[in-house]
Amino acid sequence: MIGGLEIIIGLPLLGALVVLLLSRRDTVAAWVGVAFGSATLAGSVVPWAATIDDGGGYVARSDTAWIRALDVRWALGLDRLSAPLVVLTALLSWCCLVALVRRAPSCGARPGLVALVLVLESASIGTFAALDLIVFFVFFELVLIPMWFVIADWGDEHDPVGRRRAATRFLVTTVTGSALMLVGFLLLHARTGTFDVTELPSRAGQIGAGTQVLVAVLFLLGFGAKVPVWPLHFWLPDAHSKAPTVGSVLLAGVLLKLGTYGLLRFWADVPDGAVRVAPYLGALGVVGIVYGALACLAQTDLKRLIAYSSVGHMGFVLLAISTLTEQGRLAANFANVAHGIITALLFFVVGAVKDRVGTTELAGIGRALYARAPHLGAAFGFAAVASLGLPGLAGFWGEMLSMLAAYSPAAALSRSTYVVFMVVAGLGAVLTTAYFVVAIRRVCQGVPDRDAVGDVGRDEWVAWSPLVASVLALGIFPVIMLWSGSASALAGRR
Amino acid sequence: MTLLVLLSLLIAAILSVAVGHRDDRLPPLLGVVGAMVAWIGSVLIGVQQWGMGATAASTGTGQVATGGLPISVTLRVDQLSASMLVLATSVALLVQVYSVAYLRGDPRYPSYTAFVGVFTAAMALVVMADDLFVLLVGWEVMGVCSYVLISHHWELEPARSGAVKAFVMTRLGDIGLLFGFFVLGKAAGTYRISEIVAAARGGEITGHEATAAALLVLCGVVGKSAQFPLHSWLPDAMPGPTPISALIHAATMVAAGVFLVARLLPVFGLSDVAMNLLAAIACLTMVGSALFALAADDLKRVLAWSTVSQLAYMFAALSLGGYAAGVEHLLSHGAFKALLFLAAGSVIHAVGTQRLDGMGGLRTSMPVTFVTMTIGFAALAGLPPFVGFFSKDAVLGVAADQAANGSAARGWLVLVVGVLVAGLTSAYATRAWLMTFFGPRRGHATDVAPHESSWLMLGPMVVLAGLSVVGGAAVVKPGFLGVDAEGAHLPVVLVSLAVALGGAAVTVVQWQRLRRADPALALGRLRPVLAREARYDDLVGALVVRPTGWAARFTRLNEEDVVETYVGGVDSSGQWAARLVRWTHNGNAQRYVTAVVIGAVAVAVVIGVVGPS
Repeated sequence: MIGGLEIIIGLPLLGALVVLLLSRRDTVAAWVGVAFGSATLAGSVVPWAATIDDGGGYVARSDTAWIRALDVRWALGLDRLSAPLVVLTALLSWCCLVALVRRAPSCGARPGLVALVLVLESASIGTFAALDLIVFFVFFELVLIPMWFVIADWGDEHDPVGRRRAATRFLVTTVTGSALMLVGFLLLHARTGTFDVTELPSRAGQIGAGTQVLVAVLFLLGFGAKVPVWPLHFWLPDAHSKAPTVGSVLLAGVLLKLGTYGLLRFWADVPDGAVRVAPYLGALGVVGIVYGALACLAQTDLKRLIAYSSVGHMGFVLLAISTLTEQGRLAANFANVAHGIITALLFFVVGAVKDRVGTTELAGIGRALYARAPHLGAAFGFAAVASLGLPGLAGFWGEMLSMLAAYSPAAALSRSTYVVFMVVAGLGAVLTTAYFVVAIRRVCQGVPDRDAVGDVGRDEWVAWSPLVASVLALGIFPVIMLWSGSASALAGRR
Repeated sequence: MTLLVLLSLLIAAILSVAVGHRDDRLPPLLGVVGAMVAWIGSVLIGVQQWGMGATAASTGTGQVATGGLPISVTLRVDQLSASMLVLATSVALLVQVYSVAYLRGDPRYPSYTAFVGVFTAAMALVVMADDLFVLLVGWEVMGVCSYVLISHHWELEPARSGAVKAFVMTRLGDIGLLFGFFVLGKAAGTYRISEIVAAARGGEITGHEATAAALLVLCGVVGKSAQFPLHSWLPDAMPGPTPISALIHAATMVAAGVFLVARLLPVFGLSDVAMNLLAAIACLTMVGSALFALAADDLKRVLAWSTVSQLAYMFAALSLGGYAAGVEHLLSHGAFKALLFLAAGSVIHAVGTQRLDGMGGLRTSMPVTFVTMTIGFAALAGLPPFVGFFSKDAVLGVAADQAANGSAARGWLVLVVGVLVAGLTSAYATRAWLMTFFGPRRGHATDVAPHESSWLMLGPMVVLAGLSVVGGAAVVKPGFLGVDAEGAHLPVVLVSLAVALGGAAVTVVQWQRLRRADPALALGRLRPVLAREARYDDLVGALVVRPTGWAARFTRLNEEDVVETYVGGVDSSGQWAARLVRWTHNGNAQRYVTAVVIGAVAVAVVIGVVGPS
C-alpha cells in the first residue's frame, strides 16, 4: 500500500529521474525540478496539519514487513516533532530549486545539481518520517551521498582540491558518527527485541542502566558529529565555505537538523542513560555557543562566519535537548525550525554576494553594501538581526525557550548546573549580537570603496520571500508552533 | 483603540518602505499621518482613563505555549500607560513634523520614517503590555530601531561605532532582564504583569525571589536608561539625526527603564537590597553625568549627559517608593528635553556643527529658537514657573519625607545628592545657554550667516515650550496617575532653588571673568578629566572589549592551526574513504547492490554477535 508519506518521499525521487532524463535541456530540467518541489511542499503540509488536529500520536502511518529475517519493517509516520521538520525540508528544497532556475551553478551541469537536491530532499524527508531504526539508518546514510557530490563537484570553482577535501571530511565524520549510531540501534534491538520507533520508549525498562548510558553516549557521539556538537564541528566551516549556495542552505537548514532530531527522538528510548549524559551535552552545547560566537568575532570570511554561527545556534538546541523536559523539547524543535529558515536566508544572501563579487572574504566584498546594493544589504541586515535573536522574529523564541528550559531542567538534573549553563548561554547571545553588528558595520555600512553591484533580482526575491515571510510569521505568531497542547504531546506518545 | 495606535504606526511604516521611493513627498506625509492617527488614539485612551473614569482593562488575543507557564498576548491600559502613551505619541508626532524640514531631501527618508514608526509602535507596546514577554518584544524592537537610527548616516565613523556600542551594551543588560523575567514568572506563577504586581502586593513573592528578580531586571533597566555602569552608550548615540535624539534618546526609549521600574515597583519594594542599590546607582550616575555635562564641548553631548543625570533623578525617586514623583519627572523631562534637542537641532541646522565652540551670539539671528530653548534650559535647571521646577521638587520632597521617617539613610543620600546636582544642573545648563546664544560668534562651519529655521521646525518647539510653561499645574495635582502627590516641602524647595540659582550665578561670573570664554575653563585641571568622561571607555576597553578580542583571535587561531592539524591527520583516512566512494560511484548497479548486500549482511552479523538477550 502506498501512503501519503511514500508519495512525498517518492515525488522528489521521481523528479530526480525525470530531470536526469531531460539533462540535455538545461532550463527545462530546472523548471521540472521546481514543479516536483512544489508538489512535495504542498503534500508535506497535509500531514503537518493532521498532527495539529490529531491527539498527538503519529499520522500518515504505513507499516509493512520489509526484511523479515532482520525484523526490519517499512514503517513511516509523522508526529508533532517530525512534521514541522518535513515542512522545513520541503520549503528549503523548494527555495533551492527556484534559485537554480535563473542562476546556473558556476561549473555548469545544472540538471545534475537539481537532481541531487531532489534526492537530498527525498532522503531527508524519509529520515524524519522513518519509524523503524533500520529504515531511519538507511535514509540517514542516503542523505550523505548526494551531499558529498554537491560539495565535491559543484563547490568552490577556484579550489577543486579544497572542495573535495571538505566534502570527504564531511562524509567521513558523519559516516563514523552514523556507525556509532548504528551500534546504538543494534544494542537497543538486542535488549528490547524491536526496531519499532513507536514501541521503543515504552520498553526502556528492559534495558539495563549500563547499556542505557552506553547507548546514550553512542547517540551523543553519532548524532553529535552531525549537529555538530563542539568539538566535533571541525568539518562544518570547511564544508560550508566550499559548498555551493544550495549545498550550504540544505546542509545548515536540513542536514544539521537530522542530528538534533535524532537526539530528541532516540534519547527518549534510554531515559536513564540520558539523565547521566545530559549535563555533558548541555555543557558541550553552551561551550559551542560561546566558542562559535568567539570564532565569528574574529572571522574574515562571511560564509565561515555563518557556519560558526550555526555551531552557536545549534548549541542552544543542544542545551534545550539536554534539559530533558517537555519545555526543552518544544524549545529545541522551535529553534531547529527557526535556525533552518534564518540560516538558509543568510546563506542565500551571502551566496548572492559571492555571485556578484566572486568571493566571500570580507576584504574582497568591500564596504557599504547599503549604498552599492541597497536591497541586498537590507536583506543581510534583516537576516542578521533575525539570527541574533531579536524578539518579534523567529530566532528569539527558540533561544529564549531554551534558556527558560535550562532555568527549570528535569528533576533528576542538577538545577544549579543548568542555571550556570543558562547564564553562559546568555552571554553567548550577547557575543552573537556583537559579531553580527560588527559584520553589518564591515560589509553594509561605511563609504563605498568600489563599484555598485547588481541588486537583488526578481528570481532571488521569489526564492527568498518564503523565508522572509516565515521569519516574520514565526516571530510575530509563535503560536504557529507553540499552541497549547503542542508541548504536552510533542513526543508522539500515544 | 490600542490596536488603532499600533496599526496606524505600523501600516504607515510599511507603506513608507513599500512606496516611499516613488515620490519624495510620500515618506514625510506617511510619517506625519501615521503619528497623527496614533496620537489621536492615545489621546482618546487618555480621555477614557482620566476623564471618564475608566478602570484599567486588559484585552487579550490568546496564549503562546512554552511547555511551562503560557505567555499571554495581552494588552492593558491604565493611567500609567495612558500617560506614557500620550507622551510617546505626542513627541513622535512633533518629531515627524519637525523632520519634514530637518531631513528635507534625505534619500534615506523612507527607511527613516519606517523605523521611527516601528519604534513608536514598539514603545506603545512596551507601555501597554500586560505580559513580560510581550513587553520584551517591544523593548528589544525599540533597541534595534534605535540602533538603525543612530547609524542613519552610516558613512560616518562615529555613527557606526556609536550604533554598535549602543546595541551591544543594551543587549548585555537585556540578558539580565530576560533572566529577571524568568525569576519573576517562576516566583509569581505567571508572566502577566498585573498578576505579578498583585502577587507582590499580596506578599506571595518572597523577599529572596523579589531581590533576585529586581536585581536582574535592574540590569536591563540600567542598560536601557544609560545608568552606571552601562551609561556610556548614550552620549555616543548622538551622531544620530537630532530629531531621533529628541524622541528616542531623551523622551521615550531611555525613559522606558524608569517606566519598567515604576510598573514593577511593588516587586522592588519587597527588596531593600534592590532599592538600596538603585538609590546608589542613581546618585552616582546623577553626579557623574552632571559633571561630564559641565565639561562636554558638544551641545548634543551636554544634553545627552543631562538626560542620563535626569533619568537618575527619576530612579532616585523610585528607589524611595516615590511612584508619582518619578513618573511626573519622567513626563516633564520628556517634554522639556525633547524641546531642548529639537532646539539644538535648529541651532545645528543653522551653524552646521554640534560643537559649542562653533556657536555663540545666536540670540539675535534665531530669536524663536533662543526663546524656546531658554524655556527648555530654565525647566532643566529647575527654575519656577517651569515644569522642571515642580517635578524636581517632587523628587526632593519624597527624599525629605523618607529622610524624616522611613528609610532615613536612603532618603538623606538622595536629598543631599539631589540638591547638589540641582546646582550642577543649572551650572551646565547656563554654560550651554551662554555659549550657544551669547558672546561673540565663534568660527562657523558654514559661510552663510545663521538664520532662523522654518516654521515646520519651530512649531513643534513652540508647542513643547508651551507645555513646559503650563505643565507645572499637572505636576502639582497628578490626579492623572491615580495616586496622591507626594508632598513638597517648602524648606527643601527654597534650598534647592537657592542652590540652582547659585550654580547659574557662579557660571555667569566665570563667563564674565574669562571674557566670555567657556566657563568650564574655570574647572582647571579637572576639566580634561571630565571632558574625557573619567576614561570610563578606556577602562571598559581594557577590561572587556580587548580581552574579548583576544579570546576571539585565540579561538580563530585554535581553529586554523590546532584543529586543522589534528583533522589533517585524520584526512589520510579520509583519502581512503574517498577512494572507496570513488570506487562505488564509478561502478555499475551491480556494485551498489553488492554494497547494500554486504551492508545488510554486516548488520545481520552484528545482530547475531550481540544477540537478542
